[in-house]
Amino acid sequence: MKYLFTICLTTFALLSFQTLNAQKTFGTRNGQIIFQSPTDQDVKAINNEVNSRLSDNGSLSFSLLIKSFRFKMAEMQDHFNTEYLHSNQFPRGDFKGTITNIKTVNFNQDGIYPVEVTGDLTLHGVTKKVSSKGSITIKNGKPLAKASFPIIVKDFGIKAEDVTEKVTITVNCQYQ
Amino acid sequence: MKKWLKFLLVAGGIGLLAGLALLYWIFNKPHRDVSKEKGIQLTSQQLFEAFRKDEAVANGLYLDKAIEISGTVAEVSTNQEGQKVVNFSTDDPFFTINCTFKTDPGNLQPGDSIVFKGICTGYIPDASVVINEGVLIK
Repeated sequence: MKYLFTICLTTFALLSFQTLNAQKTFGTRNGQIIFQSPTDQDVKAINNEVNSRLSDNGSLSFSLLIKSFRFKMAEMQDHFNTEYLHSNQFPRGDFKGTITNIKTVNFNQDGIYPVEVTGDLTLHGVTKKVSSKGSITIKNGKPLAKASFPIIVKDFGIKAEDVTEKVTITVNCQYQ
Repeated sequence: MKKWLKFLLVAGGIGLLAGLALLYWIFNKPHRDVSKEKGIQLTSQQLFEAFRKDEAVANGLYLDKAIEISGTVAEVSTNQEGQKVVNFSTDDPFFTINCTFKTDPGNLQPGDSIVFKGICTGYIPDASVVINEGVLIK
């Protein structure tokens, strides 16, 4: 009887522990990130093959390939890869960070939740801390993450012209 | 008209035309059309193994190249711009060959075996080898 009681208690404790730690992670291999010059609408690159993971504990990561960015103008796309981002040498860009106010997001309740994100952005082989405000929209249990923030390209060791001195990064990722 | 002035006008005119032609070329240079390129032929599993083994070597062989892949469809979806995206299975259940199609490959189902061509844009560890500008061959 004593053993049975101990086994029941251990099983209950283990199950409770597992429930408490059950972490839900959402992912996508085809999220969208846009690089755009705020002063020239033509300088716009869209990447629809962004790999991203979002956990309900607040951890957030993005991984993208520089060669996946598409420009309207082929010549601009070539320059972006060969003269600015040097995508043969630095083929990937990454972000690893956290949503600092994740407790305000209810993943079980449809709605739009304002969030604050902070983390490390690696581009062109250089890692910098970035922060941004954004939103998480929950619809039918699936999150959509949106954010927009500027970067100074020189901070990442990238050569800059007047129109590309500052670039706005826009995140638009629908998770499954 | 003086000879030197005539020469200057002709030279200026040629320069102006050349400049305009260059601008026209920059703004209208066509994007790569992978359907007209000869692709490196391999299977989705071979492509995955090449990157798993040595990313730098695989980048040298396949990055930015037209590749023609035969593979088994694992999942079909649509991206946020309405393009068809097909994931091809590998022997790692968490790793796929992720291809965004430029032209609609039609009604594909998981389990279908197809051959397609596209441009390899690289490798994302623990996720996928990415291909875009995909076109269905058969």
